[in-house]
Amino acid sequence: MENSTTNGEVIVVTSGKGGVGKTTTVANLSTSLARMGYKVAVMDLDIGLKKLDLILGLENRVIYDIVQVIEGECTLKQALVKDKRFPGLCMLPAAQTRNKDDISPEQVQVVCDNLKQEFDYVFIDCPAGIEQGFKNSIAAADKAIVVTNPEVSAVRDADRIIGMLESAQYKDIHLLVNRVQNDMIKSGNMLSIEDLAEHLCINLLGIVPEDKNVLISTNKGEPIILNERSQASQAFNNIAQRLTGKDVPFLELDENSFWNKLRGLGRSLLPTR
Amino acid sequence: MLTFIKNVFKQEHNSSRRQANDRLRVVLAHDRAGTSAELMDTIKEEIIQVIAKHIEIVGNPEVNFIREGRHSALDISIPIKGR
Repeated sequence: MENSTTNGEVIVVTSGKGGVGKTTTVANLSTSLARMGYKVAVMDLDIGLKKLDLILGLENRVIYDIVQVIEGECTLKQALVKDKRFPGLCMLPAAQTRNKDDISPEQVQVVCDNLKQEFDYVFIDCPAGIEQGFKNSIAAADKAIVVTNPEVSAVRDADRIIGMLESAQYKDIHLLVNRVQNDMIKSGNMLSIEDLAEHLCINLLGIVPEDKNVLISTNKGEPIILNERSQASQAFNNIAQRLTGKDVPFLELDENSFWNKLRGLGRSLLPTR
Repeated sequence: MLTFIKNVFKQEHNSSRRQANDRLRVVLAHDRAGTSAELMDTIKEEIIQVIAKHIEIVGNPEVNFIREGRHSALDISIPIKGR
């Protein structure tokens, strides 16, 4: 997996189960890193069921897709969609009218090797499932982020994915727990972060609280990290910083804690950007 | 006050979080080893039969899945009769 001519890192975001927040994670971590000044490419490998363009708000600017790049119909550079809000961010769209078997892990590897030469981070949005799309997505990855929710079926699928990554000799595997509701954990009705750590036994990269602002931001096609007042935004920004090697403490999830109330008050007094 | 404390404990004991954890422990152990509850019963039965051929077993023999990190192991406890 080492390539001596490049230093970009390929990060696959995967989960097994659908709907846990893979695309949201890719959109927000990539935007957050681009805002810090890094050069970031995002690659949608959910061929046939693309979403990333819509979540990033770039759906109207897509001309070519990854299958056309692989089949030689266009160059990689032509297919990359630049995000006007963040000059460092580019997206390689998925094809909507093709399917996962139209590309191979080797071909994805070639595309990633090219992207690594120009970008600091290359994110791969992996499709749900453990079939061809998953195999294509993990082929070139240096690091894997497994997204899960505190819910039994998502945890079971995450465990299966971690097992598959381990059998494929991946060492750099991290857990991101999305849609955490602290009040439900407290009332004994949701798996806690400690519970998930006990079951899955991998490094915890981040915790993202349930946040209605996420839906609002996807409606608009704006990543949540642009909304400074949301808790999910802070969580994603912290995770992005951890990816750069910074040691950032985990968010205090207790919304009713004194400090959070004070912080909320402070935020509501400040004008919105 | 006493009923309040009772309720707190009752909730903890039967909480859905606890149930989720218990169910996950079992299902993940089986998923990882590629086994099922039915296969475990068969294994347990056969292990006990093999031991019983040679030594007398007393009490409740147990064969369970235990987890060590991301790996599963078989925990076998078979009490045998002393002389």
